[in-house]
Amino acid sequence: MDYSSPSPSMGSKSPEAVMQQVQAQLNQAYAEEFIETLRGKCFDKCITKPGSSLGSGESSCISRCVDRYMEATAIVSRSLFSQQR
Amino acid sequence: MDPSMATPELLQFLNEEKQKAMANEMLAKLTSVCWDKCITDKPGSKFSSSESSCLSNCAGRYVDMSMLLIKRFQSMQ
Repeated sequence: MDYSSPSPSMGSKSPEAVMQQVQAQLNQAYAEEFIETLRGKCFDKCITKPGSSLGSGESSCISRCVDRYMEATAIVSRSLFSQQR
Repeated sequence: MDPSMATPELLQFLNEEKQKAMANEMLAKLTSVCWDKCITDKPGSKFSSSESSCLSNCAGRYVDMSMLLIKRFQSMQ
């Protein structure tokens, strides 16, 4: 395989530029997926009886829910990936 | 992407990102499952000790169970 000449379809992009672009797109996708999960989990927990507007109790529940979900992710991550279980 | 662009360093990068994506997916799945199982009340300003130990145990037992399932399945072959 010839690595010296980039194919025309890639334009003038260097491998580094491609990696950066892929990385950015991945991060974007991870963030979107996480927010979608939060939408589902926190709506279930906090909006139990949807009213005519978002109440202050619901808003603060949502903000706590987001914090706790991130904490839960950290706890599960430690349990999952650390060797000493 | 044109395969002719695939330099060794690019291939290695993609491989690593694939591994990361798989780990990320497993973490997201497990967090979702354990959240549903362990967090039964409305989220408070901090986890109770029983909630955090439930989350930690949940993840550990899920892994144990996966191993057991694999062994059980292999013994059926």
